[in-house]
Amino acid sequence: MALSIPGAILKGRTGFLVVLFSLFLVSMIFLSLSMGYIRIPLTDILHILITKAAFPIHDFQAINETHLAVIMDVRLPRILSCAGVGAALALSGVLFQGILLNPLADPYTLGVSAGAAFGASIAILLNLGNAFVSVPLFAFAGACLTLFMVIFLSYSAKNPMAGLSSNNLILSGVIVAAILSAGISFLKFIANEQVSVIIFWLMGSFASKTWPNVSVITAFLGIGFFISMFFARDLNLISLGPKSAASLGVDLKKITFILLVSGSLLAAVCVSISGIIGFVGLLVPHMVRFITGPDNRKLIPLSMLSGAFLLLFADTITRAVLPHEIPIGVLTALTGGPVFCWIFKKNRFK
Amino acid sequence: MKISLNHISFSYDADAGPADMIIKDFRGSFTAGAFYSVIGPNGSGKTTLLDLISGFLKPLSGAVKIDGTPVFSFSKKALARLISVVSQDHAVNFPFSVKDIVLMGRHPYIPRFSPPSAEDLNRAETVMETCGMRHLQDRKINELSGGERQRCVFARALCQDTPILLLDEAFSNMDIHHTLDMLHLVKNSVKEKNKLVISVFHDLNLASTWSDDILVLKNGEIRAFGNSAAVLTAKTIKEVFEVNSIVEYSRHVQAKQVYYPIH
Repeated sequence: MALSIPGAILKGRTGFLVVLFSLFLVSMIFLSLSMGYIRIPLTDILHILITKAAFPIHDFQAINETHLAVIMDVRLPRILSCAGVGAALALSGVLFQGILLNPLADPYTLGVSAGAAFGASIAILLNLGNAFVSVPLFAFAGACLTLFMVIFLSYSAKNPMAGLSSNNLILSGVIVAAILSAGISFLKFIANEQVSVIIFWLMGSFASKTWPNVSVITAFLGIGFFISMFFARDLNLISLGPKSAASLGVDLKKITFILLVSGSLLAAVCVSISGIIGFVGLLVPHMVRFITGPDNRKLIPLSMLSGAFLLLFADTITRAVLPHEIPIGVLTALTGGPVFCWIFKKNRFK
Repeated sequence: MKISLNHISFSYDADAGPADMIIKDFRGSFTAGAFYSVIGPNGSGKTTLLDLISGFLKPLSGAVKIDGTPVFSFSKKALARLISVVSQDHAVNFPFSVKDIVLMGRHPYIPRFSPPSAEDLNRAETVMETCGMRHLQDRKINELSGGERQRCVFARALCQDTPILLLDEAFSNMDIHHTLDMLHLVKNSVKEKNKLVISVFHDLNLASTWSDDILVLKNGEIRAFGNSAAVLTAKTIKEVFEVNSIVEYSRHVQAKQVYYPIH
């Protein structure tokens, strides 16, 4: 059955769009590889990639050692992490908007970002060993604990009917996030010199991402994509309201739980890799919905490709175009915010 | 096909005493080939009763059985091939087209990752035709009027093509033309395809005209249940709804009709 996924997606207009968006993304990756402090010509990039990926068909002497290091050790892991995080944030946004029946939901609605930030702040404050390992781990643990807390708050064994409803989840998320924000402020208050490290981490960056980061995000993204495509049609039916969805054979509680956990884990991995990057998860599903309509089977793959493209575009701007690298979280909020305002105004009152 | 309810009690509060139940020790059965109406004042438990039958709610005690099998022992998909529901939540949160929504009625028949079969598409087309929705098929559901949206939900339930159909005030927003069209459709499917329909009504005259049997609920208890003509009396209406009425046989609809005199 799983083998027929591409068959179901790659059909007609949607198939064309998937191919088109993939081409955009691949072009962006190559463009981004060549741009930066050292400009590397496209032929060199291809040369290096082919040599590394397949067999050393050309002899190694021909490759510029510096270019090889820049591409393989610096740019490629950063670019792939960035594209992976963009795709994961967009996917997470689609899932949250679908489950919470709220087009304003995003991966951080349930307080996952605040939990991750709290965990990261503690790791930074306590100076826990190598920051490349412990900070992401603490961030991930913080996000998971927050998710657990939010689900605990919004579920009732006594009245399971009302459990995990959209309103309960949003309310619990807002409360937990508010408590954690206060906690983060407190940590900043007692942090002294480390306060700047915390602040910079929270603003998000893809600088110095490594191959292990790429593997982690790829693994989560692959599993997340499979699960969400598996339940994509059920997610469509959930928008009919709980009673109608249940009468059509959707196991509401099970599917809400699975997709909620998947969406939150995706967001948690993103935050632990690159800090808090806002607006991708909120904005990308919105924009893609104008093209595909609300059907999640089309929305999911196209949102992932668009999210990867847009975040990579933003990261390339801040890395290679701007004279000084500004935090990517700040850039996406500063550009995404106004775009969102425009879309909101245009569509709400047309 | 027969739905039987054995000593069903239900409350949203699991610790509620017997007096606080929304449905109190309900015993009764519904058989295929008949159109049942449920009437009763607001808060009498009509919707809750349908939710219990459809398996959306679980009774605190007792069991709902379809041909002897408890509703909760069916898989969700199998149950969706037995019972379709037109509920009162017809707000849809995302801009699906009418055709998309009607086709969602085929969800329990379409395997995962498969596109709808020719039969599924055919069924959706036919249903939209009979419900007079063909000209609306590409319109977005959230841009339709309340009555049109309700008809779309109705078409979705017909597309589901189940032996049991539960209607919860399914005609509340429709104009009289479409109400009668839909009732004709339902009545015919009861007669010709031996379906089982249970419908909640507020309009006692529609209930009397179209249904074989009427169930009268008040405070979660059965006040009367049986043949429409036998159940519908001025005395019962006074007891249940606390209004004075005159109930007469009308030869125009070949059923009893209720009039509410002004004093």
